[in-house]
Amino acid sequence: MPCERAQQLEAYLDGELDAAGAAEVERHLETCGECRNAKAELERLRTALREKATYHRAGPQLRARIGASLDKEMPRKAIIRRFPRARAAFAGAAGGAMATALAASLAFFFLVPASGDPLITDITNAHLRSLASEHLIDVVSTDRHTVKPWLAAHADLSPPVADFSRQGFKLIGGRVDFLEGVRAAVTVYRHGAHIVNVFAWANYSEELPDFATRNGYHIVFWRSGNLTFCAISDTSIDDILALSRLLKGLSQTDARE
Amino acid sequence: MDDKRRRFEAQALPHLDAATNLARWLTRSDADADDVVQDAMMRAWRAYDGFRGGDIRPWLLTIVRNCWRTSLGDRKRRGHVAMPDENTHLPGDELTDSGPSPESSAMRSDEGRKLDAVIATLPDEFREVLILREMEDLSYREIATVTEVPIGTVMSRLARARAMLREKWLGEVEASHAL
Repeated sequence: MPCERAQQLEAYLDGELDAAGAAEVERHLETCGECRNAKAELERLRTALREKATYHRAGPQLRARIGASLDKEMPRKAIIRRFPRARAAFAGAAGGAMATALAASLAFFFLVPASGDPLITDITNAHLRSLASEHLIDVVSTDRHTVKPWLAAHADLSPPVADFSRQGFKLIGGRVDFLEGVRAAVTVYRHGAHIVNVFAWANYSEELPDFATRNGYHIVFWRSGNLTFCAISDTSIDDILALSRLLKGLSQTDARE
Repeated sequence: MDDKRRRFEAQALPHLDAATNLARWLTRSDADADDVVQDAMMRAWRAYDGFRGGDIRPWLLTIVRNCWRTSLGDRKRRGHVAMPDENTHLPGDELTDSGPSPESSAMRSDEGRKLDAVIATLPDEFREVLILREMEDLSYREIATVTEVPIGTVMSRLARARAMLREKWLGEVEASHAL
């Protein structure tokens, strides 16, 4: 027969008893072997539930879905404010899907119409220029120990860099680029047939969306320390989010070192 | 981004994993869980102006549970019953989550899988208090709020849930050790 204090024992283990109640249970445990056994079993069960049972986390797809739904709830206004600077004159001749098709064959064209946010336009243009092979990589290396110091020397920035081949993102090099006239360090990854450019630049205080899509390219923004990051690619948004998470993890590790 | 959105993201989104975990254990299906969480987050967003401060987690989990109840009603009306998924993990989960690494999940013990299966067989009202207490670390009072029952009922359901789990799982583990 179960001891009549069995439920009190559970409340004790759940931290729901006050000091007097807890002391009472502890005294009882000294004399009741049955409750001692029950306590051992309950603790074993708790450890198993916390360490062995699956804790289900939100996947990137769900996070992206929620982000997109929240975007829809926002009042229709420019999510990003304009960044004051002299803007280059864009010969925005081609747009939409044509831009994507042209990107492979044309070098150094400003392919994206200069509508919408100038930063996103700049990022998309820089990405397209890099794909047009004129200027994808300044330092070709799959070794973070080469790319990181090169970026530190040439872009004066030291973003986290690592080869994530195991996770499907192969580091292929780095370069310096300019966004809104500001110098950015770019690390370049290959994901299957897709190129992912990861821009990092410093001291950017403007508001940024978490995601954007321009001309079929997905863009993910995040910040870490005083650096702002932006990953862009025509691979799926989930893949880009996956890379952004890996890099965020790396920023944390870097900060601890 | 406007101020409400920023506050909501800072306050609510850190609990997205908790919302997902609860939804997944309630629905026992990855796809249904995602729908419930999405629905819950949008309801939370719309109700956010009415949130009176304090710990947001029980508030969010209450919404998650309500969305699940609603989805159950919808499903019943359509004459459709969700069966528990074979796999408790989506293949892509390990890559990006702070959850178990691929290695550790590959080595995930038989014991863990059995435990998942046993939890999934507990009736809804026992499963939910168990998840809220042991995985989400909610107090009796918070569980009472989320599940809309008196604290005494929370305690008796929790005790019953543990007894069922102990019987089914510890029994199974001991049986396999004895072999």
